[in-house]
Amino acid sequence: MKEIISLTKLFINESLGFSLFFYNQKFNKKEFYKQLFTLIIVPVALIPAFFMYVSLMSATYFGLTLINQTSVFLSIGYIMATVLIIVFGVMYILSEFYFSDNIEELIPLPISQRKLIIAKFLSILVFEYIFAAFILIPILIIYGVGQGMGLLYGLLSFLVFLTVPVLPLSLMTAVIMLIMQSASLKGRKDMLQIVFVFIGIAVIFTVQIWFTSQLGSGDEADFQLLMNTILTNNEGLLNSIGYLMPTSFLMAWALNKITLMSLGWVATLLGITLLSCALMVTVGNRVYLKSIVSGKIIKKGKPLSGAQRSKVLGKKSHGAMAIFTMDLRLLLRTPVYFFNNVSVVIIAPLCILLSVSFIEIPPEDLQGMQEFFRAMPILINFLLIAFFIFFGGTSATTASTFSREGKASWLTRMIPVTARDQIVGRTGVAMFIQSLGIVFTIIAVQFIFPLPLSTLVITIVLGILGSLPILLFGLFLDMNRPLLNWDNPQKAIKNNMNVVITLFVGMAYTGLLIGISGLLGYFVNPILGYGVFALISAILSVVFYQVISRRLEAEFLNFEGN
Amino acid sequence: MLILEHISKTYGNKNEKAVDDVSFEVHPGEIFGFVGPNGAGKTTTIKMIVSLLAPNSGKIRINGIDNQTDILGAKKQFSYVPDNPELFEKIKGIEYLKFMADVYQVPASDRQERIERYLDIFEIKNAVNDPIGSFSHGMKQKLALVGALIHDPQVFILDEPMVGLDPKASFELKKIMREHCDRGRSVFFSTHVLDVAEKICDRIAIIKKGKLIEVGTMAEIREKAGSQESLENIFLELTE
Ligand SMILES: Nc1ncnc2c1ncn2[C@@H]1O[C@H](COP(=O)(O)OP(=O)(O)O)[C@@H](O)[C@H]1O
Ligand SMILES: [Mg+2]
Repeated sequence: MKEIISLTKLFINESLGFSLFFYNQKFNKKEFYKQLFTLIIVPVALIPAFFMYVSLMSATYFGLTLINQTSVFLSIGYIMATVLIIVFGVMYILSEFYFSDNIEELIPLPISQRKLIIAKFLSILVFEYIFAAFILIPILIIYGVGQGMGLLYGLLSFLVFLTVPVLPLSLMTAVIMLIMQSASLKGRKDMLQIVFVFIGIAVIFTVQIWFTSQLGSGDEADFQLLMNTILTNNEGLLNSIGYLMPTSFLMAWALNKITLMSLGWVATLLGITLLSCALMVTVGNRVYLKSIVSGKIIKKGKPLSGAQRSKVLGKKSHGAMAIFTMDLRLLLRTPVYFFNNVSVVIIAPLCILLSVSFIEIPPEDLQGMQEFFRAMPILINFLLIAFFIFFGGTSATTASTFSREGKASWLTRMIPVTARDQIVGRTGVAMFIQSLGIVFTIIAVQFIFPLPLSTLVITIVLGILGSLPILLFGLFLDMNRPLLNWDNPQKAIKNNMNVVITLFVGMAYTGLLIGISGLLGYFVNPILGYGVFALISAILSVVFYQVISRRLEAEFLNFEGN
Repeated sequence: MLILEHISKTYGNKNEKAVDDVSFEVHPGEIFGFVGPNGAGKTTTIKMIVSLLAPNSGKIRINGIDNQTDILGAKKQFSYVPDNPELFEKIKGIEYLKFMADVYQVPASDRQERIERYLDIFEIKNAVNDPIGSFSHGMKQKLALVGALIHDPQVFILDEPMVGLDPKASFELKKIMREHCDRGRSVFFSTHVLDVAEKICDRIAIIKKGKLIEVGTMAEIREKAGSQESLENIFLELTE
């Protein structure tokens, strides 16, 4: 037990970078204050959002009392929390169990696999409890106060709260471990493993959604009929939503009304939770370390013949192309980088496709939508532009471009490559990935309704042009303060302030620019809107480009030792 | 070929100079050894030459080009192999070599011929299709050497090159250094292994605590020290 706790502490410490924080407190004051500042400013910045959330939930509760459906209130919160936990959980599980390097140091030590798994799981759980608390506790309190609940409700809802992150997270961990195991068994390495995980999870969700949709609409459930049952039966809404997450029924039965049965339902929930933990540990014990060890074996290529070598070497490439290829290869071949910077351009369009195939839009509504957009193309154009900028600018690929090279960055700085080629090559990689996202999105959207050619041209051109200043801004930041001294590639992104700043500044900037040019385009003249958007993007890009190309070679001298 | 004038460098602590007013010159056709104990400032000096660090003061000219006013031009004149060459682990050996040939704009026929030759010499031909992450330390060093020789640099700069190489590779490297100089180019390398410097260098510089204490041929340094001792003993006396 002691061992598990100290391991858990170690993992938490590692993922938060506390040791560096305290090291900086002693030896690097400037860096320390910067970290302290972000540590304080991020929660403070979230306070308004939290208040908005609480008032929204109070309003929802009030609305539900009006239609006599308060019984669904807790389930809504439960399902929201579970979905969020799963979404963030996939990332946490992959990075803690599979991308973190500490496992290499831990395998040789006499620690049982079971303890490792439990400790890693607990270290993820801590973060998930924080998420769950922000979402669920306001809901539990609103409901408790609204229904005039007593002490027993408080106690039972606390117990239920404890189970909320554990259940989905442990099942998710077991599933991911199984997928990673089968991926590594087939000799699939690196990014293919990650693709496997996504596909596996997508399949599970698809099956689950399909299953519930079968349950829900036994026979062509008429909308009127559904509304009737909802309005006459005060658990109608609960029944139709609960299918999404079967355990939410247990929670609702336990807490909606406190009776003697509540104790039984809470006990059942606790039991199921413990069972799923046991399942995860059992599965993990069989596959986890095995797949880690086989995953660490680097697959070698076949020796090349002289002819093959000269075929590779014979082609001369431009400096910018050489930088582009190197940067792209590193991005695609390092799982964490692929996961953070590339996967979103596959997942987001996939989500559009999935939602389209499950939500059936009646043809007349679709027609209406199409007419609406035909009448006001500027709305959908800017919406798409925002989406495309999200692929390019806000994934912050350029903001870690030097950091990702880590200790090998001496090579980048030593070779005689012009600043222009560096900028073009590195920005090119971000744009290439963005273009993939754009193409996939357009294909997915095509299924809802075909976009006119003018929309395609405008959104592609402005989407790419609009993200250019953000890309260059990220490059500028990473040129000034790269994070090179890491031993685990994850740190180049996760501990990198350049990425965080580019993300936030990029989003704020995009919102502002699209807001202004959208309003101009809508109220004055579409051409003016697009024009202003293009002009501002172009000017900022030129300015950033000039600054970077003038400073880059000199900045390379400052990457270490100051 | 390589000229340093009054180079100084401090890291964090401004009172402690890692390199203190260092000046010397490496002539064409010369193997020049940079000798000193651990922490003397060899790596720091080399990093300033190869544009990885900015000196606090002083000038460096490589093949006549000032590496502070024309960084890019200076970079084309040398190639550099660090003491511990960290390379991109996910990249294959051959991809790395192609990258180096591309960024130095080596003509297609030259690059193939040189790469084939050096891969043979260092016996890593069969490994070039593997990711660098699977290379041993010595293999990485050999790959970095091949990469550095692709563009046939005017000045070949190496930091502690013999550490980590097997005896055969280290023998071959010395041969390559000599050939390089025979074609009128220069080799500049640092070492704390003294008999290496003694055997293969035309001239050496001795650095201690950031200060240059001797520059010259072996004979000149012996003469100054007034003895027929080996460099080892002179060095121990000088750096005491
Ligand atoms: N990045 C750095 N930050 C602070 N001090 C450094 C750094 N690199 C080297 N030093 C210091 O500079 C001095 C010279 O180091 P170095 O040039 O690496 O010596 P050598 O290569 O001769 O062994 C040493 O005292 C070392 O501690
Ligand atoms: Mg050194």
